[in-house]
Amino acid sequence: MLGPESAHSPNAEDLNALYWVMMVIGLLLIVAINAALIGLVVRYRRSRGAAAPRRLRSRRPIQVVAASALAGLALVLFVLGVIFTENAREVEASGPDGLQASSLLTAQRDIKPPGGEDTEPLTIQASGQQWIWRYEYPDGTFSYYELVVPVDTAVLVELNSTDVVHRWWVPGLGGKFDVVPDQQSGTWFKADEEGVYYGASYQFSGAAYAAMRTRVRVVTPTEYEAWLEQQATDIQDAQELVRRQLDERVDSPDNPPDDGESVDIDSSAPGGGGGPSQ
Amino acid sequence: MSAGPTIHPKRPEVVTDGVASSRPRWLEIATSGDHKDVGRMLIAGSLAFLALALIEFLLIRLQLAVPENTMIEPVTFNRLLSVMGVSLVVLFALPLVLGLYTYLVPLQIGARALAFPRLANLSTWLYIVGGAILYTSFVYTPPEAGINPLPPLSDTAFISNNGVDVWITAVGLSVLGFVLLAINLLVTLRRLRAPGLATRRLPPFAFSAGVSSWILLIAGPAMLAALVMLEMDRRFEGVFFDPGGGGAPTYWQHLSWIFMTGCYLLMVIPAAAAISEILPTFARKPLISRRAVNLSLAATGAIGLLAWMQNMLTASIPIGWLYFAMAAALLLIVPVGVLFVNWLATLASGAIELRAPMLFALAAISTLSIGLVAELFHAVIPVNWLLADTADATAATGYVVVGGPVLGGIAALHYWFPKLTGRFMGESLARFSLVAILIGAHLTLLPMFLAGLDGQQADVYKYFEDDLYADGVVGTFQSLDTYNLISSIGALVLVTGIVMSLVNAARSAGHGRRAGHDPWRGDTLEWLALSPPPPHNFDVVPDVRSDEPMRDIRDAVKRRHPPVPASRAKSGEPVA
Ligand SMILES: [Cu+2]
Repeated sequence: MLGPESAHSPNAEDLNALYWVMMVIGLLLIVAINAALIGLVVRYRRSRGAAAPRRLRSRRPIQVVAASALAGLALVLFVLGVIFTENAREVEASGPDGLQASSLLTAQRDIKPPGGEDTEPLTIQASGQQWIWRYEYPDGTFSYYELVVPVDTAVLVELNSTDVVHRWWVPGLGGKFDVVPDQQSGTWFKADEEGVYYGASYQFSGAAYAAMRTRVRVVTPTEYEAWLEQQATDIQDAQELVRRQLDERVDSPDNPPDDGESVDIDSSAPGGGGGPSQ
Repeated sequence: MSAGPTIHPKRPEVVTDGVASSRPRWLEIATSGDHKDVGRMLIAGSLAFLALALIEFLLIRLQLAVPENTMIEPVTFNRLLSVMGVSLVVLFALPLVLGLYTYLVPLQIGARALAFPRLANLSTWLYIVGGAILYTSFVYTPPEAGINPLPPLSDTAFISNNGVDVWITAVGLSVLGFVLLAINLLVTLRRLRAPGLATRRLPPFAFSAGVSSWILLIAGPAMLAALVMLEMDRRFEGVFFDPGGGGAPTYWQHLSWIFMTGCYLLMVIPAAAAISEILPTFARKPLISRRAVNLSLAATGAIGLLAWMQNMLTASIPIGWLYFAMAAALLLIVPVGVLFVNWLATLASGAIELRAPMLFALAAISTLSIGLVAELFHAVIPVNWLLADTADATAATGYVVVGGPVLGGIAALHYWFPKLTGRFMGESLARFSLVAILIGAHLTLLPMFLAGLDGQQADVYKYFEDDLYADGVVGTFQSLDTYNLISSIGALVLVTGIVMSLVNAARSAGHGRRAGHDPWRGDTLEWLALSPPPPHNFDVVPDVRSDEPMRDIRDAVKRRHPPVPASRAKSGEPVA
């Protein structure tokens, strides 16, 4: 309850570990300050018949010692911060249970891809749009709202936006990153457990921002391959259907063709068009 | 007669004192360049906008009391949110601080006026007109682009109505006024100090006015430039922030965050400075080191502004710059920590009187300690990646708002109210108010930390019911219902508490117990003036010989006039 979502990806573990370090330091600081405050007020209350106040002035060494101790704390936190950030950015190789087929490896500015050979991560193009997430897989298949990935596999999520600024985060699977139009950014994760992980957009992005949610379904590599195939077929069928309907509409004398109007094929794809509330 | 010293004006320099004006009184005040009238207008304006912001806050918490609430339309909610954001920071926190500075800084430094009296009047009206423009927009289209209207969302392609233009105008006019006032304060502080009042002898509050003014002078123009660019993008086909046309949305984020970081510092630094004056007065001993306190206030301002990118740690900025932001944000531990150490050390060996200003100041220290530590979490990059823009961030900021401008502001108001009006604010209502604010704040904000850890987004108009995530889900979004309900109940208590203090101030202005000129036996120069001070402030501008000029004056008076009978000499007790 006092901690973040339990980590299911190596980078999430780094984030959580440092969170707990901060939690311990933070609680100590808060308790120390407030205990001292209450203690001193109770001890030196005038109505308690305290002696006349002593007009103490501190000499410089005391202030310097206090400042140095605080600077030490800041330095320790900074070093920890850098170490854990670097760790979290290090993309790990896929594990033995993960998808072994290689896919496109794209070097990211903020991500350091692993050096190994047959451990190339799975690259997903995630695109934020008001107010839904679209995921595109290496073979060109796509899905809306739900991202399906194999377990124990390093997944690079390349983020981009088609409209306004969004921010992608699925708790338990790493950190959150801005999604800005015309800008490439990215994150990665390697889920250690099959299941469903919920996430959302964490940047105010207009009217339906609260409904801009997402979900990551982690499955076995075999299930993933099967799902991908099914999804590709479904998309093809849907596009076929739209094209047929369109042809019928053009052929029919009642419906003159509306020139220049493009048909949004994406929106008829399975899994598209809405969050869990719909 | 007061218990404090009274300087008898032998040769009054302002002979129009007390002569009735031919113009109505409200017109006198509205057009006045007297820093006390300007200060009072700013303070009154800020409290009025606070009341409006509280209404919006309550509506927002009411909407979030239950999951998937449909009471308020999403767009209406976003409008309330956008207006509340501006109201709390730009229309409440900043002018409250600046109003107190405008009123008190000339008094504290032994000046008879501001350097540019008319400019101060203009500043106030720029702010009031800005606020009025924001609120009249409720009759057509209020802004709806969020607390920080990031382009491209705030561009006409996505929000084509006038709401964002209203936001730009309101913030622009107000900030312009504040920047002008900052210049005014800086020149006043530099040129109009009483003889002998060296910089090292400035009391923390007056010193912090200099720090805050420099912050405004740096952060304000950055925002003004950004606002002009955004408006050019919106209405005149500019391409500053438009990603398609060669602009960069991130550019707006940098400029607006420089300003908002400045606002954040202006919520903390003046409150810290007021605390640093209230503690010694009510512990009956000097600050353990004024030098360390003033240096820390200045360092907090300087380092704090450098940490603006701490709010953008999730953006795709080269990692080196993120480390720079983290370093600056963490370095703030030093000056802020030194402040806390000095406060606690000042309490030790004192004779502490728990009057209302002291109680609020102590509560402000406690609340700020939580808010600033919570903010420290966000300074560390990996933890920021967890917590940024979740309800946790809202709660951290909330604690700073309550600890700084709210509790610190009310403490300052209680402390200087006798100077402003010649009367005390009610002591018992103050205690009720304080208890309600503390209970309310913790009830509202603590559950928000937990909701944030469970993944609740910041600034949402709704969240989803728990059972939506019931089957086969790995954690997340589990107890939002409970957290939000508690938070909404807490909001009601919190607002009740704040309103009690507002009522207290309004009632005491005319009916409070008379306080005399020097009710707290403060050691700074404002207590030399009458309460309320005459237009020219001081009949005699004293020579300052130490950190505590009023103490010297009291001693001098005591030496010249042999000790009075015991009945009058009861220290600390006001004599009407
Ligand atoms: Cu979004």
